[in-house]
Amino acid sequence: MNPLTPDPSTGSGSSPELDPSVEPLPLDEGANGEIQGGRYYGRGVPYLPIDGYPGKLIAIEGTDGVGRSTQIRLLREWLEVKGYGVIETGWTRSPLMQPTIEIAKSSNTLNKLTFVLLYATDFADRLEKEIIPALKAGFIVLSDRYIFTALARAGVRGVDRQWLRTLYGFAIAPHLTFYLNVDVKTLSRRVLESRGMDYWESGMDLKHGDDIYDSFRTYQNRLLKEYASMADEFHFRVVDARRTVDRIQDELRRQVDAFLDPDGVKSLD
Amino acid sequence: MTFSLLHATDFADRLLYKIIPPLKAGMIVLADRYTYTAFARDVTRGVDRLWVRELYSFAVRPDLSLYFRVPIDVSVDRLLARRVKLKFYEAGMDLGWSTNPVESFRLFQGKVLEEYDQLVDEFGLRVVDASRSITEQQRLVREMIAEHVKTTSAVEVVDDEPVNA
Repeated sequence: MNPLTPDPSTGSGSSPELDPSVEPLPLDEGANGEIQGGRYYGRGVPYLPIDGYPGKLIAIEGTDGVGRSTQIRLLREWLEVKGYGVIETGWTRSPLMQPTIEIAKSSNTLNKLTFVLLYATDFADRLEKEIIPALKAGFIVLSDRYIFTALARAGVRGVDRQWLRTLYGFAIAPHLTFYLNVDVKTLSRRVLESRGMDYWESGMDLKHGDDIYDSFRTYQNRLLKEYASMADEFHFRVVDARRTVDRIQDELRRQVDAFLDPDGVKSLD
Repeated sequence: MTFSLLHATDFADRLLYKIIPPLKAGMIVLADRYTYTAFARDVTRGVDRLWVRELYSFAVRPDLSLYFRVPIDVSVDRLLARRVKLKFYEAGMDLGWSTNPVESFRLFQGKVLEEYDQLVDEFGLRVVDASRSITEQQRLVREMIAEHVKTTSAVEVVDDEPVNA
């Protein structure tokens, strides 16, 4: 049995440790099949009740080099001018895990499973120490990437999708999830113009070949497909990221404004 | 949560490098603690019972799992007799139940033992009474293991691949 790809359909590889009465956890538990923003996706963190917290969680998703951080910076300025308290949180940025993840990435000992679990640990740390306290205090949390990045990367690497979704059952569903959508051609040029292609972002660990450009295209293509397949499941608001920074920002602001202030009371522009 | 996930990461690493390869080679793997430790400890720390079981669903189910059961008083006495300094997390000090390490240990490990008791039925753990003498325990353990391992075979099975291949 390959522990990385348990196949629930055969029963042989799925949850060998598990009591047969324990069903895989459904991700969607709402009456209409939709998890509301600000609720846990799955079983959550029992010792951290989050119901009724006033803050809002906004996730900006999209693949490497799509322009997330630029958009988040602009969004933050705009929100702060409007008088909202804003904090940012970003993938692998937890003080607890960042050094460990860097060390692990630079060694050759990391495998699919430990990769996933290190990311999940980092996320859990930021959830407990940054995201939940900020939501409790009424902040707007702008998340540069969210669990969908982890689901996409691990999905491409062949980790069981149901297991991943159960693992991230302790995550909070964002109130808004923007997905910056791009094609590989545009993405390749954008990345090459800025900082160049990097080992992990090119999926070199998947051994598609020695050519980083070809590997980047193959890997990012698969990642984009993986993201696209999650769009409905997680209610992405898909934003065309091939446009100029300003056009994208306008669209984000319009949608955020409509969500935060549906009556237009606080609208300044 | 981070405590639970870090241990799971460590376990995944050991599973793929230290446990699965020898199993493939037909060897016996003796694991000092297994996923059951995580089930008992993490749940005591407030992690969801089902979530942690699903988390570890990538683990290999042991052919035999032995649980050395000991009353909490015996456990505390043994540790203190050896003047072991109780570790912060081992004593569950992170939970803030008591500022006294021994008292905290007693409370925390007491809860952990209650969780273990549930695991015995759930996963069919074989219980060894660990308050008995080491010799007696070892005799029992050997009997239990003998049921699973052929010890009669005197002939060493040589690898079926030619040496000079």
